[in-house]
Amino acid sequence: MIGAVPGIVLAVALLGGLAAYLRVQRDPPPAWYADGGVISPTVGLTRTEKPSGVLRWLTTVDHKDIGLLYILFGTAAGLWGATDAMMMRTELLVPETVVWNVETYNAVFTTHGLTMLFFFVTPVFTGIGNYMLPLLLDADDMAFPRINAVAFWLLPPSLVLVRGGLISDVLGAVLGVLPIGVGALLALEPVSMGWTMYTPLSTEMANPQIDVTLLGLHLSGIATTMAAINFIVTIVTERPDDLGWDELDIFSWNMLVTSGLILLAFPLLGSTVILLLLDRNFGTTFFAIEGGGPMLWQHLFWFFGHPEVYILVLPAFGLISLILPKFCGRRLFGFRFIVYSTIAIGVMSFGVWAHHMFATGMDPRLRASFMAVSLAIAIPSAIKEFNWIATMWNGSLELSAPMICIVGAMSTFVIGGITGVFLAAVPVDLVLHDTHYVVGHFHLIVVGIIPLAMIAASYYWFPLITGRMYNQRLARAQATLLIVGAFVTFVPLLVLGYMGMPRRYAAYPAEFVGLNQVASIGAFVIGVSVVLWLVNLVQSIRVGPIVEDADVWNLKETGQFTREWQWFEDRIEKRRAERPLPDDHTGAESEPSEEATDPEKPD
Amino acid sequence: MGSADESSESDHHAPAPADWPRGFGEASWWPLATAVGAAGLYAGAALALLARGEDAIVGPALPSVLLVGGVGIFLASLYGWTYHGFVARYWKRAAGDGLDLRWGMVLFLATDVMTFAAGFVYFFFVRTGPWPPGELPHLLSSLVAINTAVLVASSVTLHVAHESIRGGHRRRFLAFLGATVVLGVVFVGGQLLEYYELLVVEGAALTDVFGSAFFALTGLHGLHVALGVILLAIVLVRAGRGQFSAERHTAVATTSMYWHFVDAVWLFLVVTLYVGSVA
Ligand code: HEM
Ligand SMILES: [Cu+2]
Repeated sequence: MIGAVPGIVLAVALLGGLAAYLRVQRDPPPAWYADGGVISPTVGLTRTEKPSGVLRWLTTVDHKDIGLLYILFGTAAGLWGATDAMMMRTELLVPETVVWNVETYNAVFTTHGLTMLFFFVTPVFTGIGNYMLPLLLDADDMAFPRINAVAFWLLPPSLVLVRGGLISDVLGAVLGVLPIGVGALLALEPVSMGWTMYTPLSTEMANPQIDVTLLGLHLSGIATTMAAINFIVTIVTERPDDLGWDELDIFSWNMLVTSGLILLAFPLLGSTVILLLLDRNFGTTFFAIEGGGPMLWQHLFWFFGHPEVYILVLPAFGLISLILPKFCGRRLFGFRFIVYSTIAIGVMSFGVWAHHMFATGMDPRLRASFMAVSLAIAIPSAIKEFNWIATMWNGSLELSAPMICIVGAMSTFVIGGITGVFLAAVPVDLVLHDTHYVVGHFHLIVVGIIPLAMIAASYYWFPLITGRMYNQRLARAQATLLIVGAFVTFVPLLVLGYMGMPRRYAAYPAEFVGLNQVASIGAFVIGVSVVLWLVNLVQSIRVGPIVEDADVWNLKETGQFTREWQWFEDRIEKRRAERPLPDDHTGAESEPSEEATDPEKPD
Repeated sequence: MGSADESSESDHHAPAPADWPRGFGEASWWPLATAVGAAGLYAGAALALLARGEDAIVGPALPSVLLVGGVGIFLASLYGWTYHGFVARYWKRAAGDGLDLRWGMVLFLATDVMTFAAGFVYFFFVRTGPWPPGELPHLLSSLVAINTAVLVASSVTLHVAHESIRGGHRRRFLAFLGATVVLGVVFVGGQLLEYYELLVVEGAALTDVFGSAFFALTGLHGLHVALGVILLAIVLVRAGRGQFSAERHTAVATTSMYWHFVDAVWLFLVVTLYVGSVA
């Protein structure tokens, strides 16, 4: 019976194709996108030509809708990954393995890493970029709106594949009460080889879920790469003629360099995981001892992996550089140098990968040269930091919620960055490698900067996206709490690393218990602050006060009322003019205000 | 949004695009359908791996359903998407300069370099170790020389074809494009013949240290050539129906870029993998 299904599916597909072929045609639409979509004259302004409800979200090719989908998906994945983190820190409250078992701990730190890196950070930044980039560039949409949509829709299935072990176990447990065989579901265990998937461990582990996860990673890599190509082409070709490279905003510059890194890093990871898959299933020798060996895996992985850390962090740098000046009442200090430093980071990040392999007994001469480049890559990062500080210098600072996030991000970056410079020194790394010091180093960045920049962006643009305002006091408290949480969690890890506590173990010697408990409490503080953020924004989307004046942050005063806000202002004006627009959630209750603000275009 | 759409919007309803299922203004079903197909393909591949061996944990039916269904939906969606986006009512559409598509192709090829890179790095890794790692199959046959000549010739014919349509010579364009497709098919045939010689006649190992590199790289390249033949054939069919002109030849340009790239990869493969193994 079931054997007939492929035929049926195929027949349906063919019929669909035939119907498409025979479809009655109307007049051509006014303009076409490069990937086959059409430009409608009313994109995003009203919903008259968009379907409503869930259909809208399934069929949308509007960059703003897709941006929101990305942000929602990334946030959901981030919360899932955060749950893993909370599980780990709960286990580490006590030296013995009593809360979970060793297998669960190993699985949780693996899926935590994979989820956060591939399904939280990059999707959220892609979403913010999707929403904002065309507005900042004054483009109609992304260059390839449909490829944009397909790149998004590939992500949910890849997440399911990557995290399949847990899903199948839960399903198996639920369905297990029924009298059907669930052995297949239970045979898939959550993967536990570590996010770096080092061979030979990853080739020898029997768990078949590893194969599924590798395929999921491959699919997500394709999606990420498609989005990156879209960003580059958009920035290169969709700018209006009067917007030259010298006027490109700093966030777009960062997205451009990030996308360039993705372009070269992700396809390599894709091929590498496929080679691993072949080794696991078909007896090839890519990472076998007689073939390329474990060192080949590490070289290929880190040639992707180091650029990946900048793929994660550059959009955050871009957001900081974009938003910070708005709350200092000054222009970004040294704009040009920040652009140069971004490009320099992009180029250099492909030349430092082996600093993750100092402890493997590689050739000392090679080691020394990688050490030199790794130390050098700290310079462009420092340039950014100093330019940010110089931007604040003598500025009239306004400690609004986005600004608090950004100042916090800048301060965590000082410690996160400097600890990286120490690690880049071979003798230091030989001691600290595989200790909690490394965990502290990179988490001060991946928790300190990245979510803080995202949250800063969410607070900064929330009024523009939803037309409503959130509770600013709660937001300020939440931002402060997050910063405190980040320091309380990760600075103790640095100390623990100095004391020699290894990473990736569920149990640890009893002498480390104090600092571990501090770190765990810090983690719970972070968790609470994330919940506060969520509650504030969700509640404000529903009932927050409606924004009547587009200049939420008094940007006109300092001449920083940039294009996206101008667009927002036009939209508010338009809505006022043609009220009533009952289907619009932001405009619905808004009364037209008498003192309609005069739109003054800054540029 | 941009300035183009600031015109009075109420009396300016977006004409429904030539799309099926009929989209909503600029919205479309194709991206979602394509993603569903791709997801089915990957899930099918994953289950197919789980269905292997004695202790298979899924039966063979489900993976094949997913694989066939996924591929079917994927291809049907791509067809619907690109047909309505590019092919249907070709001459009625405004011609763009194709700049974004060209950029897209260039960037895709950059990613493709990295896709090939992993296999090459493996080969260089083992090549710089003790060599040969075992008995090497007989690599430098006349077949490889002929195949190389065929592929290089196909690049030349394609270039001539492209130049012809740029100059408005449709006849010549069609003839050389057709020749390119034939040469591409010959190359794929030659590649299959080579595999047959190596694996069946000579009994070379598929997955030993050298075989892993050899078959992964040539196999990946062969897939690229096969896809290239399909793309060229599509361009040929469209050209046969009178599409493309001196001003409108983006598809010819992007497909050419792809084909020349695949040709260049082959030359690199011959130098490193074939000659480099025995030299
Ligand atoms: C200031 C420049 C930086 C330098 C010099 C630096 C240096 C290093 C070094 C040498 C290691 C290897 C430690 C070991 O495993 O023994 C390392 C690990 C790591 N770094 Fe950095 N880093 C820098 C910035 C960053 C940034 C910006 C990020 C993230 C956005 C980051 C994320 C990571 C991660 C995730 C790891 C651990 C990978 C793992 O083993 O799982 N680093 N860093
Ligand atoms: Cu690194």
